[in-house]
Amino acid sequence: MKTLFLKDMRYRQTRVVLTALSITVLISLILLLGGIMNGMRIQARQYVESTGADIWISAEGSGGAFIGFSMVVEEYMAFLNSARGLTPNSASPLVFAQARPTVRGKSTKAIVVGYKLGQLGGPKQVIAGEGKMFTPSNFEDYRPEDPVPYEVVVDEKMGLEIGEQITLGNEKVKVVGKAESRMFVLDTPLLFMDVRIAQKLLLGNTPHVNMMIAKTDKNEQPGQVSAGLDALETIEARTLKQTLGDIIAYYVDEPMKAVQFLRVMLWLVAGTLIGMITYVTMLEKTQEIGVLKAIGGSNNYVMGLILKQVVLISAVGVILGLILSYVFAAAAPIFVAIHFVESIIVACISFVVCCGSGYLAARKAITVDPMIAFRGEI
Amino acid sequence: MAAIVEGIGLTKRFGTGDATVVAVDAVDIRIEESELVMLMGDSGCGKTTLISLLGCILTPDDGELRIDGEPIDPVNQDLSVVRHEKIGFVFQLFHLLPYLTALENVMVAMDIARTKTDEAESRATELLTQVGLIDRLHHRPAQLSGGEKQRVSFARALANRPKIIFADEPTANLDSRQSDNLMNLIQELRREYQTTIAIVTHHEGLKENADRVIQMKDGRIVPA
Ligand SMILES: Nc1ncnc2c1ncn2[C@@H]1O[C@H](COP(=O)(O)OP(=O)(O)OP(=O)(O)O)[C@@H](O)[C@H]1O
Ligand SMILES: [Mg+2]
Repeated sequence: MKTLFLKDMRYRQTRVVLTALSITVLISLILLLGGIMNGMRIQARQYVESTGADIWISAEGSGGAFIGFSMVVEEYMAFLNSARGLTPNSASPLVFAQARPTVRGKSTKAIVVGYKLGQLGGPKQVIAGEGKMFTPSNFEDYRPEDPVPYEVVVDEKMGLEIGEQITLGNEKVKVVGKAESRMFVLDTPLLFMDVRIAQKLLLGNTPHVNMMIAKTDKNEQPGQVSAGLDALETIEARTLKQTLGDIIAYYVDEPMKAVQFLRVMLWLVAGTLIGMITYVTMLEKTQEIGVLKAIGGSNNYVMGLILKQVVLISAVGVILGLILSYVFAAAAPIFVAIHFVESIIVACISFVVCCGSGYLAARKAITVDPMIAFRGEI
Repeated sequence: MAAIVEGIGLTKRFGTGDATVVAVDAVDIRIEESELVMLMGDSGCGKTTLISLLGCILTPDDGELRIDGEPIDPVNQDLSVVRHEKIGFVFQLFHLLPYLTALENVMVAMDIARTKTDEAESRATELLTQVGLIDRLHHRPAQLSGGEKQRVSFARALANRPKIIFADEPTANLDSRQSDNLMNLIQELRREYQTTIAIVTHHEGLKENADRVIQMKDGRIVPA
């Protein structure tokens, strides 16, 4: 009778369903937390990679672009544009600053990216049919009063209309175009504007930028070029790879350590849960197990009955959890990227954890003395 | 006649030190093929312990046991195999599985013995028909009367064609009419299958059905 264990499960269906659902919720949580971190990693990379820069220069002691407070004097531009190993004139000034613009009356989080149009650091064009790029200033023309109109190109996902105004500092800035979405960590939209305007609105109109970025010559090793520049006493230089490492560590891995820990804890919870429910269920069934053993069922026979149930409940719970995590991810208010392969691995581990603890509980349960069949209720 | 069950010097102690109880004390017992024996005696005299020893559920502290002529070695032998191959049990409290129908409860015993499902189903149907439950095949234990439950138990005990059935106070939870019906059924089944049956009972009235009565007192067998 291959379906014996199913009949037992149907008899206790409420508990079976609740157990499977608990596992479902736990697994989808584990996957979602992983998906959130993945999403953050993707968002941490995508802007940096989109710039096309190979070398990132920040102020000495800042710990690297994006990490600490960094102000670099503009004068370095001239030096970088002729520095050995860098593509001539590829050096680009960059303002990258967290801001709280007021959008449609609401204070919103955003990051202002100020760059020189046509240089590294931001998009060269807007999405076709979605407005135009901001009016560029002449960067080399040192600090004229109000060089160009205050214009901004926004992330397409911000939902702003061309012509709309947002407030940044005390100034009104006009939305003139939409750029392909490249949200930063935790769905922070980027606002692209001329570097001079960004300096004026966010850096007190000083002749500084937060960082400078450049390309290396084709036949140069970015690592060597970067090390050469880093040897200078007033700046720090990083390769793209180092910058990505820094940014992911700083924005994702370190702050999310607790979440990682939580994920492991959730596995423990899932394992303990199924172990506990299996054990409690088996305690209730002591009499039944005793009878099965008394009428000649071996330990393996009884174990088989219990394990089939554990495996089925775990499998259903894990598979539903896998499906549910994708549903949750789609509905989540932030960017969640669940890796398919990773989620399969997580699901497999969860399945093993659940079955393992079910097995341990079952092993305890089958030690019932078959004499219980004669003694009746104790 | 051949002995189906033979115990020599069977002893079972429970507890240690001052609290030691000798539940079965050096018992020699022989039950012949097709015999119907009744085991009687005061409460606590060791009847259940004795049939548990004979049924290979308990292992003796001392003594030897042969079933169907073969010596039982509790250390090196898987007793669960002996139990489902050679022995059938009927319990005072029926002990049917609540989530299974009468039919399935009988089939479980055969499932344990690895009988194919369709074969098990037809045999279970046949046995339940024989015990008068043809129209109760798909009832759960909760939907059956005490007497019906005990008849399912007997059908289950017979499922694997055992050499001997041990029944521990099978009528204790039945009224006298149900109990008489059950005894009639047992007689009928015995005629049909020639199964050896050992019944533990307190009912003096059942004695007349037995080929032999074994009287116990303080863990020993005494003259009836
Ligand atoms: N697991 C045990 N631990 C300690 N003592 C036990 C145990 N099982 C049985 N005994 C003792 O062994 C003795 C015999 O018990 P047993 O159950 O065999 O008696 P019985 O003749 O079947 O009694 P009853 O007619 O009341 O069912 C009793 O004194 C009982 O208390
Ligand atoms: Mg007893």
